[in-house]
Amino acid sequence: MSNQGKKTKTLSRRSFIKTGVAVTGGLMLGNQLGIGPVHWSARAQDYPALGNFPVGDKVVFGFNVPQTGAYSDEGADELRAYELAVEHLNNGGGMLATLMPSSLTGAGILGKEVTFVTGDTQTNPDAARDSARRMIERDGVIMFSGGSSSATAVAQQYLAQEAKVIFMDCLTHSNDTTGKDRQRYGFRHFFNAYMSGQALGPILAERYGTDRRAFHLTADYTWGHTQYESMKQFTEAQGWATEDNIMTPLTTTDFSQYLTPVLNSDADVLVLNHYGGNMINSLTQAVQFGMREREVNGKTMEVVVPLYSRLMAQGAGDNIEGILGTSNWDYKLSDEGSQAFVTSFEAKYGFPPSQAGHTAYVQTLLYADAVERAGTFYPPEVIRALEDYTVSGVGPGAVEYRGCDHQAFHDILVVEGKAPSARDSEYDLLETVKQVPRAEIGYECDFFPGELGPYGDES
Amino acid sequence: MKKQSLFARDSIYMLIAAIVIFSLRWTLPLLGGYSELATRMLIFSILVLGFDILVGLTGYLSFGHAAFWGIGAYICGYILLHFTQNILVAMILGVLIVSIIAFLLGIITLRRHGIYFAILTLAFAEMFYYLALAPLQKWTGGDNGLTGIKTPQLFGLELSGLAMYIFVGIWTLIALYTARRIKNSPYGLMLRAIKSNEERLTFTGINVFRYKVMAFLISGIFAGLAGTLFAAYETYVPTESLHWTLSGEIVIMSVIGGFGTLIGPMMGAAIVLYLENVLSAITDQWNLILGVIFMSFVIFLPGGVMSLSKQLRRLFSRDQVPANRTESQGGD
Repeated sequence: MSNQGKKTKTLSRRSFIKTGVAVTGGLMLGNQLGIGPVHWSARAQDYPALGNFPVGDKVVFGFNVPQTGAYSDEGADELRAYELAVEHLNNGGGMLATLMPSSLTGAGILGKEVTFVTGDTQTNPDAARDSARRMIERDGVIMFSGGSSSATAVAQQYLAQEAKVIFMDCLTHSNDTTGKDRQRYGFRHFFNAYMSGQALGPILAERYGTDRRAFHLTADYTWGHTQYESMKQFTEAQGWATEDNIMTPLTTTDFSQYLTPVLNSDADVLVLNHYGGNMINSLTQAVQFGMREREVNGKTMEVVVPLYSRLMAQGAGDNIEGILGTSNWDYKLSDEGSQAFVTSFEAKYGFPPSQAGHTAYVQTLLYADAVERAGTFYPPEVIRALEDYTVSGVGPGAVEYRGCDHQAFHDILVVEGKAPSARDSEYDLLETVKQVPRAEIGYECDFFPGELGPYGDES
Repeated sequence: MKKQSLFARDSIYMLIAAIVIFSLRWTLPLLGGYSELATRMLIFSILVLGFDILVGLTGYLSFGHAAFWGIGAYICGYILLHFTQNILVAMILGVLIVSIIAFLLGIITLRRHGIYFAILTLAFAEMFYYLALAPLQKWTGGDNGLTGIKTPQLFGLELSGLAMYIFVGIWTLIALYTARRIKNSPYGLMLRAIKSNEERLTFTGINVFRYKVMAFLISGIFAGLAGTLFAAYETYVPTESLHWTLSGEIVIMSVIGGFGTLIGPMMGAAIVLYLENVLSAITDQWNLILGVIFMSFVIFLPGGVMSLSKQLRRLFSRDQVPANRTESQGGD
């Protein structure tokens, strides 16, 4: 036994060396795939070294989206929009014609051609950070963007702040992203749960009256919580009462045990603070439970889904008919900017973009515009150019990134699910009830506690 | 065997390991990776090293190692966030709490074998995951994870980038040396005896349960240590660090590297992280490629990368090697 043991020991050293050599060789071969290292550079010209700096006549963007997992469809749409944005930045087209005021030339940014690398966030904050680190270190990206969940967005914002590379959030709706977890190096164009509540409250009162009792089912994670709090606040402001709230675990697929208490209560409105698969399941089951035909206190019961997305609307099928919610943007909007984007997107891909795609596209363009205005890629200067700056032509009305929390303010939409007979295509799922003007939504900078942190060039 | 030769062999082994560990940061960028990935690889290699002591040596396949890693990470992160930036305090407390939990879990789960043991550990790990996700989210940050952790310090030195890498590298060396000493000690022999025939060992009058709990505890300590390093390196703790997918990933890493060889799983960790990170940048089908690689290993090279060199040597050498003991795997 001991003899054998000894032999194994001597073997393990030799095998270790041999295997090590073999693996190294193998990996070197793998390197011939054309992904040679791009050196991380923090070259300073007039500025002290900080973050990344473009090398040569090209500048690299990093698009970090979910390519696998539950939100991969959303990620794919974001990626299409990013590619389109890069194409337009280099060759003109799309919103470049409608952006006002615009410093974009359609010939790259500051004379440099825009290229990009992509990564897979797997809708997992850890994987997202890992992927983003690779972009920052290996590929030397000057800006990165993406994400289809608030957790990944928040995780990447902290990394952006640490690495001093600007992150343009994509689809993230939690109040925390530009609230508690706001960062100097993170910017959000997408709206948030608080704005959803503000926009939805008056419409709900108008449609369903001011004497309602709401029952909430809320996905038990940070986005769900902020959504619930905002909805509660703004429906109660309209005179509604909040009957009860149940936190449902994120992984729930069968909601019957949570829907039964709703049936046993006095509530006449069901608010589903759910997203993605959660919402598809809870809404479908609520309809199966006969919630929409139910009469309580002499009123017909109503269901509300505060945040809509095309993916969810598709998943829930016919059940969305007449159900109110909010949306950041819709491809049927008639303003010049939206139409310019939709036209070029449809020309390239053959179908209209989603709201996630719109945000991805706009974020990329507005970053590029800020660089042109700043006249440099130096991140602190670009951040200052983005802060408190208003543009129009990228959607309905004007857009402003507020300097105090990096949240963009613009018109948002209250939407209603369309009846199957009213749809003109498989993408035509939501009807705009009201375009809520920017003036009607908003809050004070210090409403949510949070600190942006340093620019990085303070002395 | 003579004491001196053992010592000499150990020092050569450790020297080579040290060279590989401390050069990774500079060799990786040449291979299409990036330097920080090296730190990540080393942290994961500590994790799988501990896993190998339990699975490779003792033969108990745990599907809940994410629990130790995650708890270590959360405790370390929480201390760094709220109490002190001193990394050693955070690490010691993290490892201490993990070892208590590992001890208790070991006592409960090790009463079962094979698949039942695996499922029990999985169930406990999932329990911790859901605890972190919802009931404890006031402390864990819930779904957003533990954010805003400040850069940890070691006696006033900020640990990030190169400094963090060296710090992690030293721990990896310590972990490897410790694991190797355990493996080659009579204690390790006892663990391997448990793997080959637990019943026979019981009949010889040995308290097998005690050895198993110790192996589980040691394994948990390694995982906890790696978890604390992970929190300090990332300055962020995601809830995914407690998720069962991580436990699964650890198994994949170990299979690709080769169970029971210590250095094999470490290489497996590096290979999987490399593929995951570099492949995902090239194609969105990287999961598929990783799956095919994993299956090929299970089918053609059950002993992992380590047995590859043995197979090759068998081809080149007349001196026939006895059948590889690490090759036969699985829960019998």
